[in-house]
Amino acid sequence: MSSTTSRPPSASVRVRPDKQPPAVRPRRRPPIGRRVGDVALFVAVALIFVPLVLTVFSSLRTPAAVADNPLGFPTEPTLDNYQHAYNRMNYGVSVLNTVVILAGSLIVIVGFGALAAYPLARLTRRWTSAAYRILILGMTLPVFVIIGPLFVLQRDLGLLDTRLGVILTYSGLFLPVAVFFYTSFLRQIPVELEEAASLDGAGTFRIFWTVIFPLMRPITATLVIYLTLHIWNDLAVPLVFLSDPDKRTVMVNAYAYINPYTVDPTELFPAAILGVLPLVIIFAFMQRRVVQGLTLGAGK
Amino acid sequence: MITRHPRKALLYLAPVAVIYLVVIVYPLVSSAKLSLTDSPAGNPGQFIGFDNFRQLFSDEQVMHALGRTVAYAAVVCTLQNGIGLALARALYSRPRAQRVYSVLLLLPMLISPIMAAFIWSAFYAPSGAINSVLRSVGLDSLTRVWLGDPNTALWAIAAVNIWMFAGFSAAIFYAGYMNVPSELLDAAVVDGASGWRRFVSVEWPLLAPSLTVNVTLSLIGSLKVFEYPLVMTQGGPAESTTTLTILVYEKIFGGQGFFSYGVTIAVLLLVTVVLLSVLVNTLLRRREERI
Repeated sequence: MSSTTSRPPSASVRVRPDKQPPAVRPRRRPPIGRRVGDVALFVAVALIFVPLVLTVFSSLRTPAAVADNPLGFPTEPTLDNYQHAYNRMNYGVSVLNTVVILAGSLIVIVGFGALAAYPLARLTRRWTSAAYRILILGMTLPVFVIIGPLFVLQRDLGLLDTRLGVILTYSGLFLPVAVFFYTSFLRQIPVELEEAASLDGAGTFRIFWTVIFPLMRPITATLVIYLTLHIWNDLAVPLVFLSDPDKRTVMVNAYAYINPYTVDPTELFPAAILGVLPLVIIFAFMQRRVVQGLTLGAGK
Repeated sequence: MITRHPRKALLYLAPVAVIYLVVIVYPLVSSAKLSLTDSPAGNPGQFIGFDNFRQLFSDEQVMHALGRTVAYAAVVCTLQNGIGLALARALYSRPRAQRVYSVLLLLPMLISPIMAAFIWSAFYAPSGAINSVLRSVGLDSLTRVWLGDPNTALWAIAAVNIWMFAGFSAAIFYAGYMNVPSELLDAAVVDGASGWRRFVSVEWPLLAPSLTVNVTLSLIGSLKVFEYPLVMTQGGPAESTTTLTILVYEKIFGGQGFFSYGVTIAVLLLVTVVLLSVLVNTLLRRREERI
């Protein structure tokens, strides 16, 4: 949902691998300036990274130790805080709910998105390009603009407080992104392969399923990472559409059961880490495409 | 082949079309209609013409929220991209450090906004990490109740937003640097241009496409800001962090009978996002063409 202006990703590798930044700098430049730059960069990266380290450290210390010195090192690490946060957030159930919603949304968005992109990329009729443009408009739409009427609609259809309603909402919100990236990707793939398959007597859907969809695997992987990040971390949609604690996602249950006004790091930090943990585990398996997935929407 | 059976295209498009119509188009049309009624809770309600819009523009709460949201977006957009650009430039000339550093810089964006809000609520607390650091270096005079002071709360939240996404901006600018033909950059080095000079006259113009992408994404993202103020301050203190989204959420789901008014504020949010992003985009695209 984050890109209006993105350009299509190229089918080839985005950053040319043969091109490395210059390794040798001109000798004229005084090394002192370079050193200052090194230090400044180190400090900047540290400023961004240290809060995360501090979060992990504090989450492993006892409340008394943190109150005594919020900046300390975990000398006697304990997992008690995690135990606490785990129970409070109803963690096991919440993760399961989030996984179900995520999986359902991914199947719909990837499947239908790819399917729709096929004719949109290959046909050049007036109505296909109009349909494409209307779909793409959905990419910038803030969910808050439609959330009220969508709530009423789901209430009337009996979809409130069901995982299906949430999956449907995410599908509507993210299909434009999927269609955009699949269409741009497919336009750069030559049609010869399809022609060959067609000569072999394969039908349209068979060509889509056995030739096109597998060809789009790189962009599918990138898209899955992008969607996983956004759906896993989203609060607004499940907050509005789910009310039963046993159906709610990790983020909603964390929001509902953990009170940030206690400002107690030993309560807040383990919750935050448990919230991001499944994502880190999933992404660890998909390393190669993670950076691309995170910066999808930036296009180029 | 689909090109030989254009009729079949309809079948391929049908599922997306149905979902899009139900989830996006119908609610949008419904928003427009509801904003012209006095519906207290999403029921059809009485047609009242443009009364809601008239009320909107004389409602100080809404106008302040609008101003606040735009100011927040301007600050986040500027600082996030400024820091991102500085980081990208530093990383570009340090290929060995780049690998490790870019991963570290992208880590905060994996955390969900609400979890980031948890973390920073604790850091910003009166006896939290930030005030501890300030005290330990003897800057006691700078310590304050960051989220409890109407003068600092919004900017404290902006800092969290920037912390999360500065690395993302850096990644996009870095990709921009990698797309610039290295001959151009090398030529300026050989000519003996100073670092600043090279940046201003060679790198900055060539980074125009990445700037457009970065500014547009961060602008739209920060106009939609919701989770941080919801979790960290609940719009307070003294409404100093009540953004448009918070207002929409409170009016529509607050159960106080302001449903259609909340929807009207949501329409204002849409208009703001569309106008500002089209404006910024046009300006930056035109700049790209000039260059």
